[in-house]
Amino acid sequence: MRRRSATPLARLALAAALAALGLASSAQDQLTPGPGSELTQAKCAICHEIGYVTRAPQSRAQWEEVMRVMVERGAPMTPDEIKVITDYLATYYNREGPSAAAQAASAQAAAAQAAADPLTQLLNRNACLGCHTTDKQLVGPAFRDVAAKYRNDPAAAAGLARKVKDGGQGVWGQVPMPPNPGLSDADAKLIVDWVLAQK
Amino acid sequence: MTDATRPIDVAEAPRSARREFLAQLAGLSALAAAGGARIPEALAQAAPADPPGTVPNEAVLAQKVQGFQVHSARPLTGSVPAQLHDFDITPNDRMYIRNNLLTPDLDASKHVLRVRGLVDKPLELSLADLKKLPSFTTASMLECAGSGRSAYLPKASGTPWLETGGMGCPRWTGVSLSEVLNLAGVKPSAKHVAFSGEDFGAVPTVPKVIRSIPMSKAMERHTMIVWGMNGADLPKIHGYPLRSVVPGWVGSASIKWLSGIDVLDAPFKGTYMDSSYRVPPYPIEPGQKMPPGAVSAEAWPVKSMITAPLPNDRYKAGGLLVVRGSAWAGDNDIDKVELSFDEGVSWERARLWAHSDKYAWRRWSLEVPINRIGYMTILARATDDKGNVQPIVPAWNPLGYFWNGIHRVGILVEKA
Repeated sequence: MRRRSATPLARLALAAALAALGLASSAQDQLTPGPGSELTQAKCAICHEIGYVTRAPQSRAQWEEVMRVMVERGAPMTPDEIKVITDYLATYYNREGPSAAAQAASAQAAAAQAAADPLTQLLNRNACLGCHTTDKQLVGPAFRDVAAKYRNDPAAAAGLARKVKDGGQGVWGQVPMPPNPGLSDADAKLIVDWVLAQK
Repeated sequence: MTDATRPIDVAEAPRSARREFLAQLAGLSALAAAGGARIPEALAQAAPADPPGTVPNEAVLAQKVQGFQVHSARPLTGSVPAQLHDFDITPNDRMYIRNNLLTPDLDASKHVLRVRGLVDKPLELSLADLKKLPSFTTASMLECAGSGRSAYLPKASGTPWLETGGMGCPRWTGVSLSEVLNLAGVKPSAKHVAFSGEDFGAVPTVPKVIRSIPMSKAMERHTMIVWGMNGADLPKIHGYPLRSVVPGWVGSASIKWLSGIDVLDAPFKGTYMDSSYRVPPYPIEPGQKMPPGAVSAEAWPVKSMITAPLPNDRYKAGGLLVVRGSAWAGDNDIDKVELSFDEGVSWERARLWAHSDKYAWRRWSLEVPINRIGYMTILARATDDKGNVQPIVPAWNPLGYFWNGIHRVGILVEKA
């Protein structure tokens, strides 16, 4: 590769970064569908890109160690979730590749994901469930606590939709909710209407 | 609409294009970008944006040279390959990036360095306080522990550093850590010094990155607290306004955005000490998990790279070939660098350039006539002053550290 000159550095660096990502990432950014893949994606993507999972297949013993370290590093996961994620990783990201049975389960899971209702797809895709559950405070508040807080506030839905898109901080503590700038208004409304209906 | 083959000006691009670009940096739609296609809505949505108080990746990467390779966007890591490292001193735009967490956006005027623990007088120092101490400038090597990781098989998890690139040798300006420790008065029971910084993670459960070094290394003159890099303030991505530099040791020992120095009676206990930056006490079967008795990764072993010629460059037979590169050896000095032009059958010594600063890499070169037609593999192998030689097969280890295999560059020699 030869150096070019005279074009603004910023442009070139950004183009180079894009090109590098084009080579390095591609299919590494989504986990293979399978039992636990959505949970795994939601939890891992809170802090790091999925390439850190997909790049280096590991033995079960190594994945158990990775999970232990991720808990140390602050990943918000319950013991049940840790078990599901460890099983998923050891099944689909081991050095021998997934077994025939695991591949069949993967095809089923892919079909189920594709057939899921739009709301479920949205929640999974946007890592909402990495930090929220319906009934328990995790990193962020439980969805049903959010619903209870705004039950008598008809203007709440519009404000919350904005918050889902722009991020927020302060209502439920100082933990910031990251923005989701790519979310459409319609999808944000779909999510918020569902959250406000939780009891 | 973005196109990987067309330069993008982030400052001028409309807001929506910048969002798409951010999504790409998050590594979520590079496939679409490579095809010049519009980013699918679904993928763009999944790109999480960074919380307030952080520097966006796009601003960081705008300061880097063309050819800077992003290895991961979250956390941000990247480097330039060997052929862009053909410098005595690494310019800022070629220095590697290895974040563990997000890039904090700090105010130098409010920044405080706290010195605590086993000291007679705890200190709270502003940048102005530090600059009143005797300061100096020196070139020192830093290299990520995982530099070269992608050359290990089976693959080790972690940032996929190339064989070369996760290292650099800028000129640092600051004070010796010992100067600050002496000001505070270290108690006799002190054994380790821990550094902590102001970077933070995506969620509040994420612990700080804290690493400690033994007192012997802490008191060495070249272990520094620095505010300057190559004659200017530290860039934000490299630790503005303050960082530690523990030269020759794994990069993680040097903490960016430094705000805490804790003097301890033992190594710091924490995830970045006990679960990372450790290597097996003896070579293990590749692919196996870490055995008991793992030891902390400290000084880098001897290593070298070829920075010229360019890979796959074409030459005419009968001319002269100039080979240049760098060699370094953690706490040790370089004794010799040997080159092979015949797949490692025979070796000849390169000329070592004048010694620069103590922890700077040593530059070397060799001019050789080119008389063999075809593909020529150039190999470089360094030896340090303790007799350690770069191995042909670096010992595999579970976390993929200390890859110091022999670097190779191939060129094509054609008939004159």
